Amino acid sequence: MLGIAFIGVGQSDSSLVAVSIAGVLIAGAALITVPASSGNRFSLALAAATAVPLLIGPIFDFGGAIGAVAVGFLSGWVVLQLFGSDEQTATADSDFLRQSFGAFLFAAFYVALEGAAGLWIGPAGANLVAAVAAALVWFAFETGAWAMTTYDRVSRRYLLRLAVEDWPVAFSLFAVGALFAYVLPELGWWAPVVALLPYSFAHIAFYRSHLARVTYSQTIRSLARIPEVAGLSPDGHSDRTADLSVAVATELGLNPHEVRMVEYAARLHDIGRITLNELNIIKVGFTDDDIARWGSEIISEAPFLTEVAALVRQQHDPYRRPGERKDPDLPIPSKIIKAASAYDHATSELGFSTLEALEVLHRGAAYDFDPDVVEGIRHIVMLGEPKS
Amino acid sequence: MQAVKVRLAIAYAGLGAVALGVAVATQEFPPLRDWAPFAVVAFLTVYHAVEVNDHLTASPAAMIFLATAVAFGAGHAALGAAAISAVSPVTKSDIAERRVALSVINWGQTVVAAVLAGFVLEPFFPTGAWSQRDFPLVAVGAMLASMVYHLVNWGLVSLAVRIVYRKREVRPWSRMGSILRSTVVMGFVGGLLGATYHLVPVALPFIFALFGVGYLAFSSLSELREAQEATLRGFIKALEAKDLYTRGHTERVAYFSQLIAERMNYRGTRLERVRWAALIHDVGKLAVPRDLIRKRGRLEDGEYQQLQVHAHVVEDLLAEVEFLRPMVEIASGHHSRFDGGGYGGTGHAHGNPPSQEARILAVADAFDAMTSTRSYRVALSQEFAFQELRANAGTQFDPEVVEALVQSVVESGERYGSPNLGSEEAARLIAEGKGRP
Repeated sequence: MLGIAFIGVGQSDSSLVAVSIAGVLIAGAALITVPASSGNRFSLALAAATAVPLLIGPIFDFGGAIGAVAVGFLSGWVVLQLFGSDEQTATADSDFLRQSFGAFLFAAFYVALEGAAGLWIGPAGANLVAAVAAALVWFAFETGAWAMTTYDRVSRRYLLRLAVEDWPVAFSLFAVGALFAYVLPELGWWAPVVALLPYSFAHIAFYRSHLARVTYSQTIRSLARIPEVAGLSPDGHSDRTADLSVAVATELGLNPHEVRMVEYAARLHDIGRITLNELNIIKVGFTDDDIARWGSEIISEAPFLTEVAALVRQQHDPYRRPGERKDPDLPIPSKIIKAASAYDHATSELGFSTLEALEVLHRGAAYDFDPDVVEGIRHIVMLGEPKS
Repeated sequence: MQAVKVRLAIAYAGLGAVALGVAVATQEFPPLRDWAPFAVVAFLTVYHAVEVNDHLTASPAAMIFLATAVAFGAGHAALGAAAISAVSPVTKSDIAERRVALSVINWGQTVVAAVLAGFVLEPFFPTGAWSQRDFPLVAVGAMLASMVYHLVNWGLVSLAVRIVYRKREVRPWSRMGSILRSTVVMGFVGGLLGATYHLVPVALPFIFALFGVGYLAFSSLSELREAQEATLRGFIKALEAKDLYTRGHTERVAYFSQLIAERMNYRGTRLERVRWAALIHDVGKLAVPRDLIRKRGRLEDGEYQQLQVHAHVVEDLLAEVEFLRPMVEIASGHHSRFDGGGYGGTGHAHGNPPSQEARILAVADAFDAMTSTRSYRVALSQEFAFQELRANAGTQFDPEVVEALVQSVVESGERYGSPNLGSEEAARLIAEGKGRP
């Protein structure tokens, strides 16, 4: 990286001062990060890195642009290590590599495309076309690289789909960078104000939505644990079932919205147990289907969770009955929760080993557990086991 | 009321038409190429109005109107703002709820306000070509124009509200500080954006796109907040419904708490916090064995402690949600006495005076407990409850809070509890089947 910085600055036609200012701009912007819906954090350095080639680029100064980006991200990394929050420094290394290479790509594509577009449609619209095209390349690289480098139990394909949902954040960073580059020559000191005012509106919106999302899933988690703290269902069962269900759901290729529904339904699948402290129920007894029905009644009181209520209602239905084909109306999330809950019951309460618990699922695959789901669970839990 | 509304709508539409006419007569219309993009953005902004803050919904539209007025510049400003505001009359919810008269009233007052704001802007425009040196003056002008816009807007709206609903009490000045601040900021931003258009027209799509993306995020945010509240509320309702005697208790306590808090001038986040605390104040009971809750007669000491332990476990659980932590604190403090006695919840040592929010919740809870039927006695009368609260004011309850409750319940004209049951003893006897109502 240092090498690129030296070569870039050495090759540059721009003054050293301009390149250093651009570097400082990127480094300072690196401190401001915004959380996106996938869990990836974007930094304002990307906006600054968009602005730099656009500002230095018009004279085809590839070296200057690349040099400034390298200097900027290097010093931005140092700045983050010194002044960043814990959340920021935790991913600083991989963010630094990914984002700086994304910025190189942007600069390279921008300079190349601007030349090509300039021949084709004339210089007037060329920079705009080139900037948008280069930004698309950059976004593709960013999402792909993030999905590939983020370690999790969930599948890469799912992570990629999740990352694509980050487009509003990526887009706003690109837009503010481009905006700044366009207004700077005309407005001078007013440029940062004009660019940052609309951006701060978007930034606050992203930040608050992130907090609201976190709060919402925390609330669901707390409510789901009420039967557990009341001693009516085993401790931690809802969390473990939810973790496994989400991993299987992503493995089976469900989309982000469906995965969210799986998570909520898995967390809340035993909420019906809260009624088990009623005397008449203890006297009469209950079945698994009762728990599902009570749970779904409670959940359907929340208007935003009707989908989840339906999934919880069907959590104990067999995927097929003797002499019949697979039940086409039974949603995959319900089948996942049924199997994941049974797996956790076997390992946590019956004290079975991983293999024994999997055997329970395999034996139940005739009617109870969908073989595809069982295969998904096997894949997920064997990932964590040492190979023999 | 419908007739009044229609008449008012005609009057406001007339006012709007006159303002539009004045603008057309004195100014020139800008070319369609300049005008159309602003019109589209303004229409979308108004149509998809989102809640940016607890009470800030209208201002982004005003910002677009001002940006338009500045962008059109000298000789076009008032007509520009008027034309833009005239094509963006309805919000999505107006259409969904078929509020025709209201939309017309809104159209009239918005156009009048926009035209006046446009004329206010005129003297602030530079005479020759634009440069960045004109920015400060234009920004100041836009801030002034924004204030004029909002003042006219507010005046006409509150006039309409007074005529249609005959509301006794309109207290718009209490929030003037925060409204003024956002007004000035919106004016500043609008002015800058309009001025930028003169120097760098290509910047405009980027600016609008940024606002659009922010808008999207804000609308998903308000949806999430709504989902959050609906979920908690729904769960509590469903769990409460299993117990005949406490059914609706939470909702009523939330309502009384809100009445008290509003009377004590709580606004925005603080009011929200009290309401939420009331919603979760009994959630601890969900984990308590049913037979303990339903027990006839008073609880023994050991049972009482068991109840507390269970309640605190759930409170700790909810306190894991960062957003709910202040509410849980209020909720767990609501059994503390005003003079410092009683048991407190998490983080409340004996002898610590409870917060004012907790004191509000305590009074609301006690009032509903007395005026609703419990397993061990039937409901008491409202007068008895007032008397009882007043008798314990200064020791168990905060006198100021008690008075706020009494006044707002009396003023609302609502009645709670049984019509004439004035003693705890009689209520118990009836519940045990020994007395007569």
